[in-house]
Amino acid sequence: MPDRSAVGCPGDGSGKGGRPVLEINNLEVVYNRAVLVLRGVSLTVPDGEVIALLGANGAGKTTLLRALTGLLDIHDGEVTKGRATFEGEDLFGEEPDAIIRKGIAQVMERRRILADLTVEENLLAGAYTRRDPEVRDDLEAQYARFPVLGDRRRSVAGYLSGGEQQMLAVARALMSRPRLLLLDEPTLGLAPMLVDEVARVIQELNQQGISVLLVEQNAATALAISSYGYVMETGKIVHDGPSEKLMEDEDVREFYLGLGGEGRRNYREVKHYRRRKRWLS
Amino acid sequence: MQTFLQLLFAGLALGAIYALVALGFVVIYRSSQVFNFAHGEFLMFGTFLMTTFLAVGLWWWVALVLAMLATGLLGVGVERAILRPMIGRPVFVTIIMTIFIGLVLRVAVITFWGVGERGMPTPWRTDGGIRLLDAPMLFNALWALVFAGVMLVGFYLLFQRSKLGVAMRATATDQEVALGLGIPVGRVFAVSWLIAGILAALAGIFLGMFPRSVNINMSFVALAAFPAVLIGGLESPLGAVIAGLSLGVLQLLTQGYVNPMLGSFGQNFHQVLPFVLMIGFLVVRPYGLFGTREVERV
Repeated sequence: MPDRSAVGCPGDGSGKGGRPVLEINNLEVVYNRAVLVLRGVSLTVPDGEVIALLGANGAGKTTLLRALTGLLDIHDGEVTKGRATFEGEDLFGEEPDAIIRKGIAQVMERRRILADLTVEENLLAGAYTRRDPEVRDDLEAQYARFPVLGDRRRSVAGYLSGGEQQMLAVARALMSRPRLLLLDEPTLGLAPMLVDEVARVIQELNQQGISVLLVEQNAATALAISSYGYVMETGKIVHDGPSEKLMEDEDVREFYLGLGGEGRRNYREVKHYRRRKRWLS
Repeated sequence: MQTFLQLLFAGLALGAIYALVALGFVVIYRSSQVFNFAHGEFLMFGTFLMTTFLAVGLWWWVALVLAMLATGLLGVGVERAILRPMIGRPVFVTIIMTIFIGLVLRVAVITFWGVGERGMPTPWRTDGGIRLLDAPMLFNALWALVFAGVMLVGFYLLFQRSKLGVAMRATATDQEVALGLGIPVGRVFAVSWLIAGILAALAGIFLGMFPRSVNINMSFVALAAFPAVLIGGLESPLGAVIAGLSLGVLQLLTQGYVNPMLGSFGQNFHQVLPFVLMIGFLVVRPYGLFGTREVERV
């Protein structure tokens, strides 16, 4: 990636950047042995930082997370090339439960809470891989963090509001005591006030030492709370840089923040942008 | 009154057996969305195995536990070898596979045990019983109720209170999420089949003690428990138990009171009744008494 050295590497910007927790190198994923969805993606999450991964629908963001959490199999997907390490240990080829035990937890897109179970049972399901006796303490810790969940611990999770469900999904992921949290569009379909709430929670978790890979379409929120950002399109990282720089970047402003364009654009210029991105990658 | 109580007791015992069979269907359906058409054959297999264990001289209670475990393990084996590889295929294909498994089991039973009828010895006197509220209750019925009660309570605790139960219900709700949370979904399937097999064998053994003997048509009892499954709601263990018990009682009361009024037409009316009810339910309340109307926010 020729442009990488020019813009800098994750960790450069914030100053606190440590060694990488998660490193993905040249990852290639094929679905149904036919569809190439990820085409050589490389990405780094340094210890203790929030990294944003932006991209439109179908860019391959969710596929990337599936590859990391061992859930490609059930979607007939396969890692055909590349390597991913978490704190130096290889991730590919591991079962989902082994990956969770290593310290990675994910919040899936659209929250995916277990609607038939109660709030408490959802949290307990999140702690399934743990055998230690401190699960109860962690349960109380989550109720302290999200009081609304504590109030409704015996209610059926499917009847919670969208915002509460998102909090439940995050709390459930935290029950496995992760060191790296993968969030797949946590602000999807939430009211602006709740989006801020989610952002606040992410920052709070980060301050407690959890590294975060935040996959988002809501670029403004994601860049505001992250230290470094990647832009993904059709299975490739097409752009990356420290979040402040990305926010000022002309292309990102226009295509992901909906800003910057003066008046109407014509189609020729869009084509020109695509060509340029291809060159960038 | 005495006749009524007598019929009630017998009906409860029969209903408890229906409940065990129905629960076996529900456990598997809930975890893997598969309707196991081989369930009746599992029941028959367990019962025949029990007669053999007794014939070789095992102590009755030991034979009972062994037969239940063996049938459960057969379930685990079938799931692992035949059904697990089908994950991801259309559920319809998997269901056809269960019919095939049922046929193979039936042939196996005929090959090993023949088509003749057998009796099911009991450790208590078959004609003996207790008197409850001045009505006789046979030991067979009493023990059927006791065993079914213990199994059902045990199952309830496992399902609602244990970590494994949470994992089973999580898997039933959303397989991908369950996997993503680190729940070993394969093991959950195996446990469901184990439980279903154990319940089937127990139900079969008690059926063998009632006037019906142990024979190769026993598997059709699964068919008789079918209405209980659908009336209770395919996804509800509680519904299966309540519907099973009610159907058993209703069937015997019908046999005692309604059949005689219907003359020659009524000879077997009690056997048709559950199916009539089932059709009624399918029309009016297709998800059953306790089936899930998708949990949904309005």
